[in-house]
Amino acid sequence: MAEKRVATKEKRIIIKATRFDPDKDEKPRLQSYDIPFADDSMVVLDALNHIKSYVDGSLSYRWSCRMGICGSCGMMVNGTPKLTCNAFLRDYWPRPIVVEPLTNFPIIRDLVIDMDDFMHKLKSVQPWIIRKQELPLGAGEHRQLPAQIAEFQQFSQCINCMLCYAACPVYGLDDTFLGPAAIALARRYNLDSRDQGLKQRLPVIAQPEGMWECSFVGECSVVCPKGVDPAKAIQQSKLDTTLRFTLPYGNRD
Amino acid sequence: MFANGGGLAALVLPVHILVQGVLGPLGIVPVVDQHYDTWVNVLGNPIVKLYLLVLIAFPFFHFAHRLRYLLVDFGVSAAKSLPVQVVFYGGAVVVTLVAIWVLATTVPIKLG
Amino acid sequence: MPAGWWLRKRHYFLYVVREFTALPMAVWLLWLLYEIKSASAGPAGYQPPKSLGFVVFSVVCLAFSVYHSYTFLKLAGVIMHLKVLDRPVPSRVIVLTMFGLWAVASLVIGGALIWFAK
Repeated sequence: MAEKRVATKEKRIIIKATRFDPDKDEKPRLQSYDIPFADDSMVVLDALNHIKSYVDGSLSYRWSCRMGICGSCGMMVNGTPKLTCNAFLRDYWPRPIVVEPLTNFPIIRDLVIDMDDFMHKLKSVQPWIIRKQELPLGAGEHRQLPAQIAEFQQFSQCINCMLCYAACPVYGLDDTFLGPAAIALARRYNLDSRDQGLKQRLPVIAQPEGMWECSFVGECSVVCPKGVDPAKAIQQSKLDTTLRFTLPYGNRD
Repeated sequence: MFANGGGLAALVLPVHILVQGVLGPLGIVPVVDQHYDTWVNVLGNPIVKLYLLVLIAFPFFHFAHRLRYLLVDFGVSAAKSLPVQVVFYGGAVVVTLVAIWVLATTVPIKLG
Repeated sequence: MPAGWWLRKRHYFLYVVREFTALPMAVWLLWLLYEIKSASAGPAGYQPPKSLGFVVFSVVCLAFSVYHSYTFLKLAGVIMHLKVLDRPVPSRVIVLTMFGLWAVASLVIGGALIWFAK
């Protein structure tokens, strides 16, 4: 049976990606790639993968799950920090899309940034359950009411994608700032009823470069892909810490 | 403390500016500071003095904090230093002292 | 980081405006202090505020002051983490309460400023 073929003009889109080879280039530059926009469900990550597979294999970038849960593919898309697996080409087409490495972090190569500072800060808040003493095995597991889980659940959604650090002007101006994700995660554990580590985390978040440096711009919460609302976590931490010092607060140890 | 000053200003300052700064001078409503005798009468009341002291001095600590951090946002990292803190918060203290002096000396306290 | 970072995004710009409101509010309060002091000028010397220039100045300060109030009270709802009878109070309720307080305070004080003008 003869097929009726309608001639359709292939949709295309231009991706301008940062290129930087520390051994060869003096500074980063943008390189333009004109690629087919075949499928309306295509995201920027798909575009980058197409470029790497068919156009220019030297393009370097991080990615993994491609479904918004691993936090690897954070980059600046037209000046806004986004997960590239979550940035749909149809929202930008037909205009070109500029893809740059995450702001406020040193570039290693192309779209890959150095995340050591973040990892160091994350570790400094000890983002795990701290117990004075572990429950004996016979006692069984920790138990929590749904209400107790609800206390910290929102802040536990963080995927460590660092978009909030790229969005935060305070971190941009002073990279000693502890930053949104680290403080939000500190709060997540401080609020967890199984945790007894508040006193250990307090010196880290209450230092001058900790939560007090935040001036509540709020952009971190705007860009967070998981709805963690780190700005809220930080302001609540400030309030709680202030009350802790000014009122005879029932210390939850 | 800083936040409370901001909260006070948020709740109470707009109406003062509206009534004393706009409606009164334009003559739209009678306002207590438009006439010497009504103004002096009110200023003699110790509760009014206390209210005005809190209204003027308290928010200044909030303002000092905000404006100092605004300088930091504009890239003036020296604004984090101790001398600058002294200037800003010291300034708020100065305003407090001046307010106390003005309220205590301008109109004598009248009870009743 | 570029010095004009806050001009790059609307949200950043509004943030700087929000912080800047402290300045006009401070200046207006200093005027109020001056006005209290000028009561010592005696009945003949006292000049009540009437000039158009002053009204314009107040209108500008009022705009900044209202923006401060609006942003501050709205964000207070985000920050405050209250519990009544073990149930968290939704931030919407806190924010509405704040705005309600603002309205009540304004009516009471505005009323007093007008009432005592008699």
